[in-house]
Amino acid sequence: MEANLDDLAFRLNNHTTDEGTGFDAVLSENGVIEVVCSNVSEFQVNIASTETQLLSVTPLFLKSEVKPGGEAELNDLLLQLSPAIPLSSIGLQGNTYILFGAMPLETSFENIVHELEVQAENTVEVLDAIESLLV
Amino acid sequence: MGILGNIVKAIKGGANEMGESIVETQAVRIYEQEIREAEEAIEKAKKSLTGLKATEIALKRKLNGYEADIADYEGKAMQALESGQEALAVEVAEHIAELEAEKDETSTEYNSLKEEVNGINRMIKKRDKTIHKNKRELEKVKTVQELQKATSSISSNIAATNSTEHRVSKALDRVKAKQARYKDEMVAGDWMAEENDTSSIDSKLAASGIGKSSQTGNSVLERLKAKQAKG
Repeated sequence: MEANLDDLAFRLNNHTTDEGTGFDAVLSENGVIEVVCSNVSEFQVNIASTETQLLSVTPLFLKSEVKPGGEAELNDLLLQLSPAIPLSSIGLQGNTYILFGAMPLETSFENIVHELEVQAENTVEVLDAIESLLV
Repeated sequence: MGILGNIVKAIKGGANEMGESIVETQAVRIYEQEIREAEEAIEKAKKSLTGLKATEIALKRKLNGYEADIADYEGKAMQALESGQEALAVEVAEHIAELEAEKDETSTEYNSLKEEVNGINRMIKKRDKTIHKNKRELEKVKTVQELQKATSSISSNIAATNSTEHRVSKALDRVKAKQARYKDEMVAGDWMAEENDTSSIDSKLAASGIGKSSQTGNSVLERLKAKQAKG
């Protein structure tokens, strides 16, 4: 089963939530939807798909943006924060810290939108909480 | 070793294209090979099951036939006995014994066939499990690859703007400012709506002559005259 990312991007572009959040979604050449939520436009959410899941990924910051010597403390904090964050987890992809969520391919459009909104909120909250450890 | 072990190896090896480097590993090739083999085996098994099913139906029919015949001859043997034809009854009884022997033989054949069918079904289930298990493992590789794709474009953007200090806190400030403005606009919107409501009530009241009447030049003059008269 392959997710129809084209269709998802189209529907996101034409959707506004009850809270007035709109989306700008572009399907990139490498098969990733780049989504900008209007309420957190500074932090883009990217959607990719595997055979069974949709992955929503928000790159947060690079390892090089962590204050020198603060990496261990930050990692410890993030590992402890991660289980408390609704619907999203924190991870490391190469040298980039990411916030990500995973949904089954069968997830309804409404729930995908909900996940994106929550992920956008989570992004701001997480960064706000650990900002002092970044350069 | 599962795929996670390979991922750890790739991380420790400092692979840039982690997903790609795992795809190239022996483990992934083995999983894929096992899936292909299991799928082929299931395909073959399903074909032979179809053949066996036909035999099973034929044997079952044969068994039912024997049972009906035996019952029929038993009735006839009883009748022969009742009518005192002992010799005929013995002959029928011998025939029944032959039928029973054949029925037992068919029954054994039928049971072993059923056992074979069960065995094939068990094998299909086992292979199916292998396929699912291996696909789950491969899904991990795919996830790593996709995460990498989903992260790379923005990461390079961040890297490009990394020269500016406090990138994250500046971005956070902009988000918060935007959200605060949005909230203010909402509050302003509510206020306007309320204001419109009130003014519409006032205008309705005024229209019906209730409440403050509007001041006109004449009414002011009347008031001034009244003041003068008092003074």
